[in-house]
Amino acid sequence: MTATNEVVRLGSARGGWLRQFGWRHLVGLLALAFSLFPILFVVSASLNPLGTLSSSTLIPPDTSLENFTKLFGTTSFSRWFLNTLLIGVLSAVLSMFVSAAAAFAFSRYRFKGRRIGLVSLLLVQMFPQFLAIVALYLIFAEITDLYPAIGLNTSWGLILLYLGGALGVNTWLMKGFFDTIPKDLDESAKVDGATHSQIFFGIILPLVVPILAVTGLLGFINTVNEFLIASVFLTDDSAKTAAVGLYGLISGERNANFGVFSAGAVILAIPTVVLFQFLQRYIVGGLTSGAVKG
Amino acid sequence: MAEVVLDKINKRYENGFHAVRDLDIAIADGEFLVLVGPSGCGKTTALRMVAGLEDITSGTMTIGGKVVNTLPPKDRDIAMVFQSYALYPHMSVADNIAYGLRIRRMDAAEISRRVERAAQMLELGNLLDRKPKQLSGGQRQRVAMGRAIVREPQVFLMDEPLSNLDAKLRVQMRAEIAQVQQDLNVTTIYVTHDQIEAMTMGDRVAVMKAGVLQQIGDPQHLYDHPDNIFVAGFIGSPPMNMALGRVEAGNGDLAVRLGAATLALPGAVTAARPALAGYAGRDVAVGVRSEDMEDARLARGGDDLPRLRTTVTMTEALGSEIVVHFVLDAPKVVTEDTKALEKDAHSSDVALHDRGTRFRASFGPRSRVRNGDEIEVVVDTERVHFFDPESGAAIRS
Ligand SMILES: Nc1ncnc2c1ncn2[C@@H]1O[C@H](COP(=O)(O)OP(=O)(O)OP(=O)(O)O)[C@@H](O)[C@H]1O
Ligand SMILES: [Mg+2]
Repeated sequence: MTATNEVVRLGSARGGWLRQFGWRHLVGLLALAFSLFPILFVVSASLNPLGTLSSSTLIPPDTSLENFTKLFGTTSFSRWFLNTLLIGVLSAVLSMFVSAAAAFAFSRYRFKGRRIGLVSLLLVQMFPQFLAIVALYLIFAEITDLYPAIGLNTSWGLILLYLGGALGVNTWLMKGFFDTIPKDLDESAKVDGATHSQIFFGIILPLVVPILAVTGLLGFINTVNEFLIASVFLTDDSAKTAAVGLYGLISGERNANFGVFSAGAVILAIPTVVLFQFLQRYIVGGLTSGAVKG
Repeated sequence: MAEVVLDKINKRYENGFHAVRDLDIAIADGEFLVLVGPSGCGKTTALRMVAGLEDITSGTMTIGGKVVNTLPPKDRDIAMVFQSYALYPHMSVADNIAYGLRIRRMDAAEISRRVERAAQMLELGNLLDRKPKQLSGGQRQRVAMGRAIVREPQVFLMDEPLSNLDAKLRVQMRAEIAQVQQDLNVTTIYVTHDQIEAMTMGDRVAVMKAGVLQQIGDPQHLYDHPDNIFVAGFIGSPPMNMALGRVEAGNGDLAVRLGAATLALPGAVTAARPALAGYAGRDVAVGVRSEDMEDARLARGGDDLPRLRTTVTMTEALGSEIVVHFVLDAPKVVTEDTKALEKDAHSSDVALHDRGTRFRASFGPRSRVRNGDEIEVVVDTERVHFFDPESGAAIRS
């Protein structure tokens, strides 16, 4: 065998394509099938007029929008859906803002209690919020007596609760991102005459849009999917979120309302998908490049 | 425009590090002062205290006759150019330049007038719509300058604004900045660790070492009359050659023995340094600039001039001159200052093992010396420097 025979040209060997690129496609297809299967199943269940769990198959024998008409006709789904949107959007936006403000302070200022503040945020975050559910319930029961507008069975009360829950992890996430923005920018703005709030809104926030988009999106998804606390706090039919309301449909007799439940689940997925499409272009890094020598 | 006065300014960081000690500098109205020194000597700290970005531990800082110790940066009427330029990445060049004016709610017509003028001055006209990341290093540097210029402040502060540029661009921008400063006649404090920038740009140069001001004066004065070994070694390229020599008192006149050679000192030299006689019989640090030495074969009428005999170890032909390296058979000067200088230049002569001291002389281009040649070097004894080998201070009166 001569030396020239040993030269391997790219993909020339038999089976080379599969070994070099093909396996990636295979893995990709598997992952795709894995994640598409439940979606397909729910969509087909929502279109299946029989509407029972046992009659659900991947390819429905018959399709109709019967489940959707039933959903809007016989349940308060439209109300639940609006509640969910209100709570989801408001708590995502507010927690994004509150966390950004906190992260700015932790990243930029040196003050007494800064370290302790950061560490306790992290510690508190380690315990799931529902551990505190009894305490929270008691607190909100009291609040309901005093200020019914932000008490149990109101969207506002739940928003308040979610705000506290998201603060810790978001603040940490954002602080890490804020730390990557050169301090020279703040100082330059300071010398230019900007106040702290002008620096925050005018210089820093525009540069952290990617992380704002990420935390906003995650916040929205979490809130829309949150069930445990919402189910304890919201018992009035008109105050329920979609997650709580839909669960109510199948909690009694799992089999019977499955089609309607699936129809609700499909509709509930729409805002998240839309939001993701909209935010996708913001969820890119590299916005700070060019600030300093690069 | 205004004068800036630093009076006994100290900075002690929270961790106890004393970064700036008793800094006394008075910068005249419209003056271009360069603050120079090796890395970590406290230049940036001093500048940031003038800007108000760093608290002053003790001392008094006045700008335009007003004590500004506790004034926030925005009320000091200063503009600063950062080493990193600190351009706002999400804003166009025009917005970057106008930012400081918008923040101060200046009216739009005046803003656009000033931005236009600055853009014209700095040749940024066709770049105004670009984002900083679409600019080259030199262009970013200009935008940073533009941002300072439009403010029309009392004082410009610049922290190594050219250190991110390549050598050629640095030379060009050096001239541009000096020109802009001259045209606007704004009091300027310019920080650099590059002594060439210091020499070429400054009306006056302040040399710092380890938080302490070493000497302040116009560049030529620092070059010709350095107060100590540190300034002598820091200002000038190549740095001043320095070796230990012994002062000998002959019949009335003084001479200095440098290795095997003895250099008789002209009467004018000893007359200008009365203190030198007191060193008779003792060692002094002898400093010789490279251009004060010449190939004996080229030196006109130099038959009776004192000469050093040595062997060439390396030559660098620069066209206009030839830099000749050789080892002088005289001990090296070792003081705090020389250690600081070696650290700054990342060099050390440990390879020589006390065999002598590495010297660099610049000969005229007609000199044909080569590596390994045995040569004779004449020294212009009128221009030799003497320093106390312990304190490092210049020996004068
Ligand atoms: N926030 C700080 N806390 C403690 N020490 C500091 C702090 N900032 C700087 N120092 C120290 O103070 C000294 C002077 O720093 P400074 O930044 O002023 O140096 P410099 O002369 O600008 O150096 P360079 O040429 O490298 O920029 C350094 O030894 C540095 O380590
Ligand atoms: Mg510095």
